[in-house]
Amino acid sequence: MKQTPDIKPTATALLVAPAAILMFGVFVLPFLFLVVLSFWSQVPGSVGIVPGFTLANYARIIGDGYYLGGLWTTLWLSGLVTLLCLVLALPLARWIVLYAKRSKGLLIGLCILPLVCGALLPTLGLVNLLSPLGFINGALKSMGLIKTSLPLLGNIAGVSIGLVQAFLPLMILPLISTIERIPHDYEKAAMSLGATRLVVWRRVLLPLMLPGIVAGSLLVFCASLTAFVTPQILGQGKVVTFASLAYQQAAMVLDWPFASALGMVMLLFLALAGLLGALVSRGLGRRT
Amino acid sequence: MTSRFSKAMLLAAVLAILLFLLAPILVLILSAFDSGNVFRFPPRGLSLRWFEAAFNHSEYRSSLWISTVLGLLSTAIAVGLASLAAFGLVRGKPSYRLAMEVLLLAPLTLPLVVWAIALLSIYAQLGINGTLPGLILAHVTITMPFAARIMIATFGEIDPNLEAAAKSLGASPWQVVRRITLPLALPGLLSSTAIAFLVSFNDVVVTTLIAGAGWITFPVRTFSRLRTEGIDPTTIAIGAMIVAFTILVIVFGQRLFQLSRRL
Amino acid sequence: MKRIACYAALTAVSLFPCLPALAQDYSGRTLVVGTWGGDIERLLREHVAGPLETKTGAKVEFLLGGSGDRMSKMVAERNNPTMDVTFQNIYEAPAALKEGLVVAPDAALVPTAANVWAGMNDGCYAMSLVGLGIAYSKALFPEAPEWADLWKAEFKGKMAYAPYPSSEGDGMLAVAARIAGVNEHDPDAAFAKLAELGAPVLSYSSLDEVFTLMDAGEIAAAPMISGYVLSNLGNYEGIGFVFPKDPGPVLVRDMVCQVANSPEPELAQMFIDLALSVETQTAYAKELNFGPTNSKVELTEEEAGRVINTPEEVASLLQLDWSYVIEQRSDWTDRWNKQILGQ
Repeated sequence: MKQTPDIKPTATALLVAPAAILMFGVFVLPFLFLVVLSFWSQVPGSVGIVPGFTLANYARIIGDGYYLGGLWTTLWLSGLVTLLCLVLALPLARWIVLYAKRSKGLLIGLCILPLVCGALLPTLGLVNLLSPLGFINGALKSMGLIKTSLPLLGNIAGVSIGLVQAFLPLMILPLISTIERIPHDYEKAAMSLGATRLVVWRRVLLPLMLPGIVAGSLLVFCASLTAFVTPQILGQGKVVTFASLAYQQAAMVLDWPFASALGMVMLLFLALAGLLGALVSRGLGRRT
Repeated sequence: MTSRFSKAMLLAAVLAILLFLLAPILVLILSAFDSGNVFRFPPRGLSLRWFEAAFNHSEYRSSLWISTVLGLLSTAIAVGLASLAAFGLVRGKPSYRLAMEVLLLAPLTLPLVVWAIALLSIYAQLGINGTLPGLILAHVTITMPFAARIMIATFGEIDPNLEAAAKSLGASPWQVVRRITLPLALPGLLSSTAIAFLVSFNDVVVTTLIAGAGWITFPVRTFSRLRTEGIDPTTIAIGAMIVAFTILVIVFGQRLFQLSRRL
Repeated sequence: MKRIACYAALTAVSLFPCLPALAQDYSGRTLVVGTWGGDIERLLREHVAGPLETKTGAKVEFLLGGSGDRMSKMVAERNNPTMDVTFQNIYEAPAALKEGLVVAPDAALVPTAANVWAGMNDGCYAMSLVGLGIAYSKALFPEAPEWADLWKAEFKGKMAYAPYPSSEGDGMLAVAARIAGVNEHDPDAAFAKLAELGAPVLSYSSLDEVFTLMDAGEIAAAPMISGYVLSNLGNYEGIGFVFPKDPGPVLVRDMVCQVANSPEPELAQMFIDLALSVETQTAYAKELNFGPTNSKVELTEEEAGRVINTPEEVASLLQLDWSYVIEQRSDWTDRWNKQILGQ
């Protein structure tokens, strides 16, 4: 159902134009260069590039389990981080909206605090905490819960913890504004009609919070996909993400064509996933 | 489940999550007081030497200043452009809305290192590599997805009937924006400003490649010695001070401007 | 007589303003130097940038990052370079020269380069000499280990490596090849031998992390480059560093390059001249344990013992065929990712 617009098309175009021009000039143009570059090749061992169409880069990515594995790790790590952010942000957002009228600013500030001194410093602090010699393992050992240190670094666990801490604000802020718009009474009304808590959540709250959930999830997912510094440090080189592969190929091996191809492959997957998501939501929209 | 009990449970969850979030920050603050030469936690001795060093180190000061200025300029531009575009997309409902949203979100879909190298090549062709405007444009681009997404959600949630009602009561479009739209959009504007600023402030990969000499930001400086020499404890003291400063700003913002009520 | 004295005085006074002009005035100009952050930046500011700024009135700005970032920058900015001087690794310098990204070393333009030991100015000017040795945990190695000791069964899976590609990684591969009886030209054997050490505990992004774990015995050893490690030993009681003998440590050289077509070639040459000077090189040796390339540097016996500073010492080091190694970079990166890290 196409809704009627509230402002005229020319006004719309004028409002949208500056951002569009900027993104086109600064992002799309280099991007197009990268697309072309992905079909070229590097002179082995040199920084020279050989223009000339070849599918070798793509063949190498698709044919090699290593790169596909890296793509898979990146996708499911990002999905995991998004889910964890959602699970943790919901209670926080609910509390802030429902019960923390006066300390709202302080609480939101506390959520953002991990990022204000730079993503690097809290990550190093986290390394210290999660280290086999660190506080967490030490505490668990002294409580007698474990004998040998839990490996919390150099694997998905450590990386996801770091990314959740970094991206929680991205989930909390949209959730807060969405939850605020849900009238209080809906919940009470539903419960007074006899719905259990679970039903209230499933049938009333979650659907109403969906715009905020979608906005937050999209941001957290995409930010996790391209995060580099935090996964590199917490993953200790053992968690292979597409961002770290791209950095290795682009800035260390200096094989720019191949690095571009890596970027394109990820983009392709995202485009397919986005398309799938759009089809699914349209299908769902038609049913409800 | 009584509502008091569920409220207590919620509070317990909130406190646990906050502890989880802030644990690394606590580590940092405490180790800033370490008397040793390297980053260590728990600290072996207490001293203020790294705070002193932070004040004496003019390069960190200038890099912090550069990060802040760059962040503020990029954020202002990004949030401004994103808000205009978001308003247009949400209220105008053009047929190209989805394409435009994808365009605004696009920088988040690519590993930024490859894009930065391509951008640098293009800048070099144009002769603007190493300049501040070039760096600002790059930062606006990487913060735009965050600002745009939040502003689109923000305007999407403002009831257009409120604006329509004001208009029907005789308000000019400018008055509608000033009196109805902007105040309602304020929380979203603040969120996107904060997040855009933080994204710009924290960026390492893009800035290392694009920034010219004289525009070395704080994270680039901090990261540049990490592998060869480890973290400079001066940086940790600076980080601790930034955290303290932020908390003070929030508390004062609370008192003076009743921040919570406006959020 | 008085008149002659007058004329002489007048002539002298009128010549006086010319004298400062001979020292060349670069005020308002900026020299851009790309280097690693931390102590190297500090030393360069103190011993090179400071004096240069005083002498010429120009300003020196530093660009910080990894050497790979600087290579990327040089290539991307080829048409319009912003960097004048850049510090690169032993294997990047010849490649940069081959690509025409840097100016070939020339003692006519940089006088102190003539004092550098023969043959070292390969691609760019040689700045420092360091060696890849073994940083080890004293708890696990009561005596300083030799390379071969690392392959003992009890240390399997307890190594730490720098992210690859890196000179540490290539050096370690060369050592593994030699232990296996071949050299770096046989990558199959080299990788197979290195893989015997097991997957590493970590690929470190931060020196603090490796050292904390090594201090506590969680990491047995790591191939590391001498300079910074030696400087840091005082902070960690449980860590030692050794230059092994059989094969010897791997030679690693920091190079300083003048970028081609850069905005300030003369200032760049002056900078490099000062960087290679006895004063700067001595400071590097004393404070950072980086071996001087300038043959005229004199060190105390104690200092000389910690650094590599004579051609004889250099001869005892393992020198890689870096141009061959560079060609294999892409292939070896793949192999490292899969065979070493992916175990």
